[in-house]
Amino acid sequence: MDRRKFLNLSIVAAVALPVGLSAIDFRATKPDTWTAHTVADSIKALYGDIKPAEGGVTVKAPKVASNGGAIPVTVKSDIAAKSVALFQDANPESAVAVFTVGEGGIVDYMLKIKMKKSGKITAILEGIDGKFYIGSQSLEVALGGCEG
Amino acid sequence: MGNMKIKAKLKGDIVNVKVMAKHDMLTYDQAKKKGLDANFITHVSAKVGDKVVYDVSTSQFLSKNPMFKFKFKGAAKGDKVAITWVDLKGNTVTEEKKIK
Repeated sequence: MDRRKFLNLSIVAAVALPVGLSAIDFRATKPDTWTAHTVADSIKALYGDIKPAEGGVTVKAPKVASNGGAIPVTVKSDIAAKSVALFQDANPESAVAVFTVGEGGIVDYMLKIKMKKSGKITAILEGIDGKFYIGSQSLEVALGGCEG
Repeated sequence: MGNMKIKAKLKGDIVNVKVMAKHDMLTYDQAKKKGLDANFITHVSAKVGDKVVYDVSTSQFLSKNPMFKFKFKGAAKGDKVAITWVDLKGNTVTEEKKIK
């Protein structure tokens, strides 16, 4: 009778951890971003000296906002992104929000923002390819939203 | 203050989430005029189980009772999405909603 030998294979399962989002508090890691008074300074504080390519990311907002206190803004892009940052030039400080995008995350964010006066909303997208993309939209604000 | 409305709906394989947080979002300017301390939501995140599906650091320039919409993949009907926000004063609110 053949003796059968059972090989005890210890299989080292390479556990592929799903690359989830690691929550980053950009307020803690990049404090200067939030106090910068111009969009350019704010972007510099967040991403350093970058030269973003025009396009690839779109900002959607009403052309004329009757109420500056709640302006719906949508940022959209098909580019696989690491992070997306939103700025405007109407308020005393520029930064509005910085999103962390997870693996396979969908860049389609809407949020409502306040603007003191007419201005331009700028979005910067940091791609996983290490490149930066910029998109913007100017709008008129009929009634400023920061007077309160 | 202290609660939020959440809607989460599955469409195809994408979950659409809408959140409205109740918060005054007082900017430094507004607070000064009113003689109050500035306070606004500084961070919002959403999780399904242990997986973070949405994460944003925010400034004072979100609207009062700010609204957020976002989409993500990889969740099923009946899963719970948990939204957490933190404000400048350190208040943290978490609420859960089942995905419809």
